[in-house]
Parts: sequence; C-alpha cells; structure tokens
Amino acid sequence: MSLKAVRIVWRISLLNIRSAMEYRTEFLLNIAAGAIWQVSVIVFATVLLARFTGMGGWDSSDVLLIPAIRMLAHGLFVLVLGRLHFIGRQIQEGMIDVYLVRPMPVYRQVQLAYFPTNAIGDLTVAAGLMAGALSRSHLDWTVGRISYLIAAVLGGMLLEAALFAVVACAALRFPAADYWSRWLEELLGTFGSYPLNVLPKAVGGLLTYGLPLAFVAYFPAAVLTGHGHTTGVPYWLAAASPLLGVLAYLATRLLWRWSLRHYAGVNG
Amino acid sequence: MSGSIEVRGLSRTFHTTVRRPGFTGTLRSLVDPERVAKHAVQDITFDVAPGELLALLGPNGAGKSTTIKMLTGILTPTSGECRVAGVVPYQERERNARNIGAVFGQRTQLWWDLPVRESFAILRDIYEVPKAEHAARLEEFDDLLDLSSFWDTRVRHLSLGQRVRSDLAAALLHDPPVVFLDEPTIGMDVVVKEQVREFLRYQVEQRSRTVLLTTHDMTEVERLAERVVLINHGRLVLDGSLDDIRRKFGSTWQVRATLADAHTDVVPLPGIAVLRRDGPRVVFGPDGPDAPTVHQALKTVIERYEVTGVAIDEADLEDVMRAAYVHAEAV
Repeated sequence: MSLKAVRIVWRISLLNIRSAMEYRTEFLLNIAAGAIWQVSVIVFATVLLARFTGMGGWDSSDVLLIPAIRMLAHGLFVLVLGRLHFIGRQIQEGMIDVYLVRPMPVYRQVQLAYFPTNAIGDLTVAAGLMAGALSRSHLDWTVGRISYLIAAVLGGMLLEAALFAVVACAALRFPAADYWSRWLEELLGTFGSYPLNVLPKAVGGLLTYGLPLAFVAYFPAAVLTGHGHTTGVPYWLAAASPLLGVLAYLATRLLWRWSLRHYAGVNG
Repeated sequence: MSGSIEVRGLSRTFHTTVRRPGFTGTLRSLVDPERVAKHAVQDITFDVAPGELLALLGPNGAGKSTTIKMLTGILTPTSGECRVAGVVPYQERERNARNIGAVFGQRTQLWWDLPVRESFAILRDIYEVPKAEHAARLEEFDDLLDLSSFWDTRVRHLSLGQRVRSDLAAALLHDPPVVFLDEPTIGMDVVVKEQVREFLRYQVEQRSRTVLLTTHDMTEVERLAERVVLINHGRLVLDGSLDDIRRKFGSTWQVRATLADAHTDVVPLPGIAVLRRDGPRVVFGPDGPDAPTVHQALKTVIERYEVTGVAIDEADLEDVMRAAYVHAEAV
C-alpha cells in the first residue's frame, strides 16, 4: 500500500470514527455489546483460575494464555479486517457494485465501510485478559518469547481474517452463505479458548486440519509454554502457526480476487 | 482523452436454478437442481461517440443494467468485448474507474453517515483531484444543482432528489470523460428532474462528456437524447435517432381537416391515406412505410386543399416506444 493510500485509509477511518461517535447511545451500546459478547471467556477464565489448577496437563496460568492470544487476535481482527463478517449486507445493498466503480481495491473499501465500535469492547476485554495472563505467567518473558507472542497475535488475526474471507468469497456468489460466518464466530469462541488435547482426538483433528482454529492460539500458546511437543502435530508445524496465518491470509486474498472476477452482482 | 464507448458482440449469461412448482417440486429441485442458462445480454454491438448522449432503452429485464455493469467493470462478459475511453473495463477495473462516473439511481455511492461534503472530500482523495480543481468543480456543480443548501447534511437525512443530485456531483467530481447513468431520476419530482436534465445537458454540450443513460422516462429521452439503442431480451433491436424510431414505430398521426367546400374531391396523396370522410370533415393518416412526418403531411394537405380548420393528433414518444417494445416482443 502506498503512502498516499495509507493517508486515504487513515482519513476515511477517522471520518468513520467521528460519524460513529455522533450517535452517542449507539456508540456506547456497541462498545458494551463488544465486551458483553466475550462474557463466556471471562467466566471461563474466572472459573479456571478459581476452581482448577490446570487443564489437559497445562497449568492454569498457561491455559489462560490461550484465550488471551485468541481474544487479542480476534479484537484486532474485528478492528482492522472484521468487515468481512456480515459482508452479506453490503452485497445485498449493492455496495460491491459501488466499490467496483471506484479506483481502490474492493477489499479495502469493504473494510472502510464503517467503524466497528464493538471492537473497542472486544479489545478492552482482550487487553485485560492478556494483562492477567502475563501477570500470572511463570514464564521467563525474553525478547524472543515476547516477539513470538506478538507474531502469534498477528498471525491469529490474519488466520481469523482468512477463515472469514473464505465465507465472504462464498457470499459474493451466494449472499446467504454469510450466515456461516456466525457459525464460524461461534465455533472460534467456543473451542478457541481450550487446550484442544482435552477434546476427543477426532474433534481435535478436525479443529486442526479441517477448520484450522488450533493455529490461532492453541499451538502458539503451546510453543510459548513448553507444550509444543505434545500437541499431536510436529513441533515445527505448531511453531509455524504465525507464518501459516500470513500464508492463509495471502491465499484468501487471491481467492477474493478470483471471486470478484466471477462476481455476478445482485438483482441481475 | 477520448471518451468513446465501443461494444462488440457483448454477451453475458447467468446460470440459474429452475424452481419447480409446488412443495414436491421444490424438494426435487433441492435434490436434483435443473440449471438453465439465462442470456441477459446477447451479442450486442454499438458505439457511442465522444461527447454523445445515448439512451439505452428497453423494458424491465431487457439487459440494460447488465450492459452498464459490463461497461463499468462490475461484471465480466461471457463473450465479446468492450472498450470505454480506450480501456477494457473488466481487465483494468481501477484504470477504467478513473475514466468513468456512474450513478445508479437506486443506490448511493456516498458515505451514509457522513455529511455530503465529507464524501466529496474522500472522493477527491481517492481520485487524487488537486484541491483547487476540486473546489472549482464543486462551485460549478453547486451553481447547477444547488448543492450548498444541503451539503452539510448527513446522507441518511437527505431527500431522494438531494441524494441523487449529490450522487451526480460525486460521480463527476474527478472530471471523467464517460458517464453512466442507470435510471438517475427514478422517483424524483418534476422540478428536480428538470434540474438534473439541465445538468446533464450542460455536461454533454459544455463539457463534452459521453453519457450512456438508461431510463423509462420518455420525456427525459426526448429532452436529452438524439440517439437511442433499444434492447429487449438481451438483444439489440434498434439503434437509431429518435426520428428513425418515430418513423418506424410512431406513424400513428392523424390530420383532421375541415374543407372550405364540402364537395371537393379528396384523393389520397403520396404517403397519405384518407382514413374517414364526413361531409367537409376529412381525416388523413399515414400510408405505408414511406409516410411523411405529421408536419410534412400537414403542409401537403394545406397546400393541396382549401381548408377552414385543421388539427393534428400525434403519438407521443411514450406511445412510440410502447409500439417499439411490442414490435420487439413480436420479433
């Protein structure tokens, strides 16, 4: 992206934020909704710390790192790339047609459609959870470990974006496919916070090779906490999770371009 | 930059699933869907010269919007080719976007929650229009469309007329040589419609923009277009001037004359038939494909006979187009 493009993105984002803030009650409600949406994670973390010493062979403080990474990755996804979620509405309203007649990548215009106020709630909870996880952690947070943690969060964000991009591409052709993004979000929220080795092997395998949500937070947390050799996949594969996030994201950008070329529009 | 549009054998086919009737039929369609090809546009060829306004007409579902979507780069044709200002829209979408302006009457390209002027500013940045040039053009558009009375209002609070005027300005702020307008005045009141028509006329005559317009409003066609392309069922039925169309489908005029002498012998004239006669009152009508226009017929009747009164009935463009659509259905 050129400097000029970054300036335009920044300018539109600021205007979007300003316009979101002008509807005060709606703005505050959306922030609250973003935070309340994550209440199950907060309950999970509270119960984990209060009632259990560990889970699946992991210490509680190590387990806490999984939802912390997932939540932070998710919050950043919602903030930066989350408009792929609910893209069905933009498709049905014919906005993709409008984007296609502007000299700007359609993907970028989709992301700039509005400011995701709920991301503030998501990120607030995520930041609190990460702070809690780091303060309870017994790990030695070296520069290498911190760098890997940052890479894991960004990789998780990109992997989540890639998963939603696949649904968005399907929605370009069949707008009703957008409904699957709700299922995807539900699935990420439900299973993304646990060490997957507590689940039956078949389910764990499905969430690794079928729908690769294990790469969002479980594998990176395992690598960080020294459980990388007991995840059921080769260590190098678990360690490469952030890189896989980047590759998956780039692959879905190609899929997006292909889907746009085959876009058939709405209303004929 | 030349703002021509070249369309050669352009076709677009959609594949849809046939819904069988009844609940059992729906279940069958679910298990064994029957796919059919719907040819929205078939082998269409036409040109639009730089600085020309062409009305693309046809009944609902004729393929007008699909054609415009291919020319604006929204859809990729199934076959054939087109060039807009020298660019193949579906191959170089972003480059094409810089050369065109588009208004889809049913939807807005403005930011819904922002004041209109903010949307204009964003578009200025996207199209990289120099600030001074942008300000000058906005001033010019304000004179023609009276934008300043509402440009600090959020788009979601605008009336339809204000919204479409804003969309028109937004589509032209980057000074595109080619403009596509898909039913731009749909649902507007007559005053705003006239303001928009004046604006479009100005853009064609003074700014030499090439305009491709689809509309169902025949007054609009009459006021703005010299040439029309009529399509139906995705096929080009007619490409010609309004006079051509009137000649072909609008020969439904009548000249009603009252003769000074009720006993005058009345004989058919070249291309003019005597439809009825009742004493001194004679009704003339067109005869055959070479019939003259109503004005020529009137002149001929007055020159040939001594008349004390004369009146003409002429089909308006609405009637002419109805006849053309009916003809297109029959072909």
